[in-house]
Amino acid sequence: MRMSIKLTTQAYCKMLLHAAKYPHCAVNGLLVAEKQKEKKKDSHSTPILCVDCIPLFHGTLALAPMLEVALTLIDTWCKENKYVIAGYYQANERTKDFRPNQVSEKVGARIAENFSEAAMIMVDSTRFTMGCYEPILAIYDHHENKWKCRDCNVDSFDDWCEAQKITSALLEGRSYESLIDFDNHLDDLRNDWTNPEINKSVLHLC
Amino acid sequence: MASVSEMYDVTWEEMRDKLRKWREDNHRNSEQIVDVGEELINEHASKLGDDIWIIYEQVMIAALDCSRDDLAWTCLQELKRQFPGSQRVKRLAGMRLEALEKYEDANKQYDSILQDDPTNTAARKRKISILKAQGKSAEAIRELNEYLEQFVGDQGAWHELSELYINEHDYGKAAFCLEELMMTNPHNHLYCEQYAEVKYTQGGLENLELSRKYFAQALKLNNRNMRALFGLYMSASHIAASPKVNATVEKANVKYATWATNQINRAYQLAGRGTKENKCSVKAVEEMLESITMS
Repeated sequence: MRMSIKLTTQAYCKMLLHAAKYPHCAVNGLLVAEKQKEKKKDSHSTPILCVDCIPLFHGTLALAPMLEVALTLIDTWCKENKYVIAGYYQANERTKDFRPNQVSEKVGARIAENFSEAAMIMVDSTRFTMGCYEPILAIYDHHENKWKCRDCNVDSFDDWCEAQKITSALLEGRSYESLIDFDNHLDDLRNDWTNPEINKSVLHLC
Repeated sequence: MASVSEMYDVTWEEMRDKLRKWREDNHRNSEQIVDVGEELINEHASKLGDDIWIIYEQVMIAALDCSRDDLAWTCLQELKRQFPGSQRVKRLAGMRLEALEKYEDANKQYDSILQDDPTNTAARKRKISILKAQGKSAEAIRELNEYLEQFVGDQGAWHELSELYINEHDYGKAAFCLEELMMTNPHNHLYCEQYAEVKYTQGGLENLELSRKYFAQALKLNNRNMRALFGLYMSASHIAASPKVNATVEKANVKYATWATNQINRAYQLAGRGTKENKCSVKAVEEMLESITMS
């Protein structure tokens, strides 16, 4: 039985802020979950909680070298923080195009090699509003080498009301202007892709 | 709501100069352009002199980006009034139709420009953008290739084509476009670095070696290009780890990779990152080197 995935407000929020910062580009990033200590016998009942999101790139997503660098560095960061890379998200360049493509499937598969329950998430930009009235994600699971779409509704969130309220507030406040992705980090190493300021804002609004 | 000049304590001249800088750098920070430009137009139009027309154009395009059709329309009307029959203004009208997704009407607009002036490159490129917006990548690529046969010096177009090819995972053709760009811009470190990334993605020992060379070249042109530095590290490491290379090549590449590692660590230290981040990058790089030599 597939473990369900849940997103915290911080994870959802940063994903949407990333997409909002670059509306004319494709964007992608990773989702991280806390590392489980041991597989419990009834582990199928505990959903995987994606606690944070690391925005990676904007623009051309189909080149390998910087992606490899990012995956390696973030993997190390995860180990230090007892996280594991649990998912991948992508928003395509064209608003109306929210299907997975070769890039998302490849990266998703790579993540699934290390984390069997990995989720691939596509952002549906056609439903992207400032009010965030509904979740705009499509969640895919890796099943026998194929990606299958699973229902995404308010149950996919740790606390949907909070996620909706805070994401909307940060969008209105244009917090996306200060969101840092890995591309920004490569442009200037002082840019921090863990986005501590935005994390603080999320906590502050909770 | 506070005005831009109040919020940031700037004069109208500073706002006008900021807009000019964004124009020159071709920045797509449309929300900011709309904020600053709209206020400039509404409050200080009389002071701007002839600058106002190019500002109308800049603000209109930014307004389209932000779905501010009201503002875009206003700007367009002013430009139409001042420059009746202008092809440049016609193209802006076409862009507005594109923003409203009225692609057939937009195409008619561009076709009428091309009828009067078949060499109008702007109209041709907008038609290609429409194909891109409609997801017709193959057609966009074909049209762009045809365009470049005629207008071989259009660097923006070569770059656009390279991106279209990369999105289609046609790395060989993307490399060709970047080669054109490197030939005409031998001092541009970004083209070198992008070429190296494409070669790396193509894979295989020969391409990896080429990618390493071009990452190194990019670094020579700009020693602060972090992508080039990381790329040099990655390509050299992969070559060193390849079973197909002899001991000499392996040794040389381990040397390059080690040099790159040190430069990367120095760069992180210079950036003054907290020790936590530093440790991460050092550790990550060490781990990578380990994992590669083990395989």
